[in-house]
Amino acid sequence: MVVCEINGESKSVEADGATPLLWILRDELGLKGTKFGCGAGLCGACTVHVDGLAVRSCITPLISVSGKKVTTIEGIDNSGEHPLQRHWINSRVPQCGYCQSGMIMAAAALLGSVKSPSEAQVREEITNLCRCGTYNRIVEAVQAAAKDMSVE
Amino acid sequence: MRISRRRLLSGSAIIATGTRFAIILPVFGSRDATAISSNEAVDLLSWVEIKPDNSAVIRIPQTDIGQGINTTLAQIIAEEMDLDWARVSTKAYDPRVNAERQNPYIWTTTLGSSSAHYLYEPVRLAAATIKKKLISAAALQLKVAPEHLHADQGHVVHAKTGRRIPFSKVAASAAELQLSEQFPVEYKPVAQRRLIGSSVPALELKAMTAGEKRFGIDIDVPGMRFAAISQSPVYGAKLLKVEMEGIRKLSGNPSVVRVSGKTIGFNSPVPEGEDPDLWAAEVRCDDAIAVVADTWWQAKTVLEGLDITWSSSKHRALSSEKMFVEFAQRVNSVLPKSGGQGNFERAMSRADQKLSALYSYPYVEAAPLEPMNCTALVDDNGVQLWTNSQFPDDAWRIAFETAGVDPNDVTLHLMAAGGGFGRRLHNDIVYQAIQIACQHRGIPIKLLATREESMKHSYYSPLTVAKFDAAVGSDGTVDGWRCRVASSFAPDQSYGATRLPFVVPNTHFEYERHMSVPVPFGWVRGVGFAQHLWMNFSFLDEIRLAIGADAIGFFRAHLDPSRIPKDVDEYDLAVDRALRTRRVLDYCVEKGGWSNEKPPGVGRGICASDSDYYPGFGSSTKAAMVDIVLDKKGSLTVNRVFIAIDAGTVINPDIVKAQLEGGVAFALSTALYSEISVKNGSVEQSNFHDYPVLRMKKMPRVEVAMIPSDSTPLGVGEDAVPITIAALVNAIVDAGGPRIRRLPISREIRLEDS
Repeated sequence: MVVCEINGESKSVEADGATPLLWILRDELGLKGTKFGCGAGLCGACTVHVDGLAVRSCITPLISVSGKKVTTIEGIDNSGEHPLQRHWINSRVPQCGYCQSGMIMAAAALLGSVKSPSEAQVREEITNLCRCGTYNRIVEAVQAAAKDMSVE
Repeated sequence: MRISRRRLLSGSAIIATGTRFAIILPVFGSRDATAISSNEAVDLLSWVEIKPDNSAVIRIPQTDIGQGINTTLAQIIAEEMDLDWARVSTKAYDPRVNAERQNPYIWTTTLGSSSAHYLYEPVRLAAATIKKKLISAAALQLKVAPEHLHADQGHVVHAKTGRRIPFSKVAASAAELQLSEQFPVEYKPVAQRRLIGSSVPALELKAMTAGEKRFGIDIDVPGMRFAAISQSPVYGAKLLKVEMEGIRKLSGNPSVVRVSGKTIGFNSPVPEGEDPDLWAAEVRCDDAIAVVADTWWQAKTVLEGLDITWSSSKHRALSSEKMFVEFAQRVNSVLPKSGGQGNFERAMSRADQKLSALYSYPYVEAAPLEPMNCTALVDDNGVQLWTNSQFPDDAWRIAFETAGVDPNDVTLHLMAAGGGFGRRLHNDIVYQAIQIACQHRGIPIKLLATREESMKHSYYSPLTVAKFDAAVGSDGTVDGWRCRVASSFAPDQSYGATRLPFVVPNTHFEYERHMSVPVPFGWVRGVGFAQHLWMNFSFLDEIRLAIGADAIGFFRAHLDPSRIPKDVDEYDLAVDRALRTRRVLDYCVEKGGWSNEKPPGVGRGICASDSDYYPGFGSSTKAAMVDIVLDKKGSLTVNRVFIAIDAGTVINPDIVKAQLEGGVAFALSTALYSEISVKNGSVEQSNFHDYPVLRMKKMPRVEVAMIPSDSTPLGVGEDAVPITIAALVNAIVDAGGPRIRRLPISREIRLEDS
C-alpha cells in the first residue's frame, strides 16, 4: 500500500509499487485528465506535479511518490480558472486537446521556477509534444499567464 | 438563395461535385421520430434535438479529431435555424441510426478534409427546412400566416405582437408536419449571418483546458477489464504457440487471447459499382496475441513476459532500403503509363536544355498522440462499441460481422480522438477488440495498444521513388515533363504526379506499384500530394535555377492559361485552376512580403497549389512562403511560414488558422524527421525517440491570410502539409544549402536537436 496526497487529499493506494503513477491516477483514481502518449517519458502528455515539480507520470513508479504531494490537471485550480487555463482559452490553444493537460502542467511548473520566462525559455523548457501543432499559441498563453500572475 | 424542396425530396445529388463523390441526399421529412409528448426531446430530421428547456443538441456525423468539426457544423446549423448559440451542444451520430434512416447524415467518414465541403449544403438545407417546419407549426398554433413569423435565438417571433414562442413549444408538432414539395426553403442572406464567418470559440474549449474532455481512451464501463496486444513482429508471420505455463499465478487474473489477422475491409468508403482501387486500400492486419487482466499495466506486463513462437515468414528479409534501391532502378525503365498530354518525346527532341533528377519519399506514420484503442462489450444483447474511428460506419460493420450478431444489435458510441491524421480510418483495433470481447462475453474490454505497438503496426504513406525528366524550350519555360513513379503497396495515387498544379504543354507519366509489399498503406494527412507535390515543385525550382530565372516570374509563366493545350480533358477547369492558383500565389507574394529584404543567411521558398485529386474536386488553393536560416555550421532553423488561402466560405476563421498552423507543424515533422524504415520484415521505429515529431523549440512563426469568398467551403486541413514541404526545400537551396531530393531532411542537414 502506498500513501500519498493527490490534489490535496490523502490517498492510500493498493497496487504494486512498480506500477507507473499514470495508471494509478487514470484507472484507480479516475483522474482521466492525465493522458497516456508514449509510456517512455518522451511526449509529456502524462505530466503531473510531484511536490511542485513536473514529472512524467508514465515512468514514475507509484512507490516513488509515497508521502509526496501529487497534483494533476484536475487539482491545479479548484475553480478551473488558473491563469494558465484562462489564457489557454483566450488564445484558443487546443485543437484535439489530448496533450493540453500535460502542457498546462508543464507550463505551471515552469512558471513556478521562472516568473516571467522569455519566449525562447518557454520553447526550450517545455519539451512536451503536440501533434496538432498548437505550439505558438501555447507560448502566447504561457507568457500572458505569467504577466497576470506577476500582477496578482 | 432558394432551393426547391422538390429537388430535395426527389433525392437529387446537390453536393455531387466532380465524378467521384456522388452523394445522394436522402428524403428528409418522412423519417422524423414521432414526439410522444413535449416533455421529451424532439428529434428533427435526425440532425437536431430540441429539448423541453429549449436547448438544442446537434448531431455531428464526423469524428472529432481536433479539426473543430463539432463547432463548425453546429455553427452552420445554428445560423440557419436561428438557434441561441449559448444553448447549443453536440452529440456524435450513431451509424446504426444512419443505416436505419437511409443515410440522413450524408457523409460520415472523417477523410480528405471534406466535411465542410460536402456537408455545407446538405446541413444548411436540413437546418433551413427544420426552421421552416418550426415556423409553420407556430403559424398553425397562432393562427397567423407563416409569412408574418420569423425565427430569432431559438424562438419563433410574431413581429406584429412581439410574441415569442420557444422552439421547444412547437417542436413536437413541427416534427409531424409534412411540408409540401413546392414549399421552398430560404437561406439566410450572407449579410445577416452572425455565426458563419465568426471565430466563435470551440465548444469543448473549457473542457479541454480542465482535463475534462473524454477521448476514446478515457471510457469507463462498469466491470471493465483491460487488454494489451502484440501483433506478429514480422509481416506475415503466423502465431504458432504461446507458453501458458504459470500465467495464472501472475497478478491481475490474466488470460491469453489469440487474435487472428486478415484483410478486414477498406480504409474508406467505396461507392457501389466503383473500382475500389480509385478510392481505398485494403486494411490488413497480422495475427496477434492479447492479454486481458484487471488493469492495463498488468495486461501489458504479462504480455511482455510471454513466450510466443511465431512462424517464419516469406517477408523476413524485407528491407525498405533494398526497396528504395530497387525502385530507383525501376524508374530508369519504361513503366505502365498513367497519364499525359501532348508529345513529350517531341519536346525533348527540340529542347534547349534537358534536366533529370531522382526524388524519393519514405514511409511515414501519422502518429496521433492518443495511442490506438477500442472498448467493446459482447453479450446476449449484442455488441456495444466505444471507438474514435474516423470510419465509424465500417467499425459498426466490422462489429456485427466479427461478433456474428444482427446489425441492429450493435451500438457504436463515437468518441473524440486525440488526433487522427488519417490513422483512425483503419479499423484494425476495432477488429481486434471485438475478437477479444467475443472471448470474454459479458465483460467490457478496453483494448489499448502501446505507443510501440501503435507505431510498428500502423498504416503508412507509401515509400515512393520518382524520376523526373524535363525539356526546357527556347522561351525559358518547361515544354516537356516526364515523371516515372515506383511506389510501395497503395491505392491509385497517380494523381500526385499527374495533377501538376502548374502548366506544362507536353507531359508523360508512368506509375508502377509494388502490390506484393506487405507494408500496409495508410491515409496520412496530405494524402497522395504529400509524397509528390514537393518533388514536383522542387524539380521545377531546379529547372528555374538552371536557366537563371526569377522565381515568381517563372512560376507565374507556368500558370499562364494560354499555355494549356486546347485538347486537354476538362479544359475550362484547367484554365480556372491555373488562374486560381496564380491569384493565390500573387496574394501570398503581396501579403507575405516575398520581395522584402532577406537578412544574411536567410533563404526563402514559395509554392502554390490545390489538392484537387481530379478536375473540380474542390480543395482549397493555398500558397506557402517559407523563410529559413542555415547557420555557418550548416544547421537549419525554420523562421517563418506564411500561408495564403482561398478556402471559399470560411465558417470559423480561427479554426481555419489553427488547421493551417497544424498543417505547418505536421509538414515540418515530416520534412525534417519522419521516416519509417523496415528491416528484416519489421518496422524499425518504435516511439518518439526514433520517430521524432516537431517540438515547440522548432516551431516557426506562422501567419495566415485568407482571400475573402462566399463560395462553397473548401477543405483546409491537409494541403498545408505538401506546400510547406515544397517551399521549405526550395528555401534551403536559396540559402545556399543542398538540393533535398530524399526526405527526411535530417539525412542531409544537421538539425541541432530532434
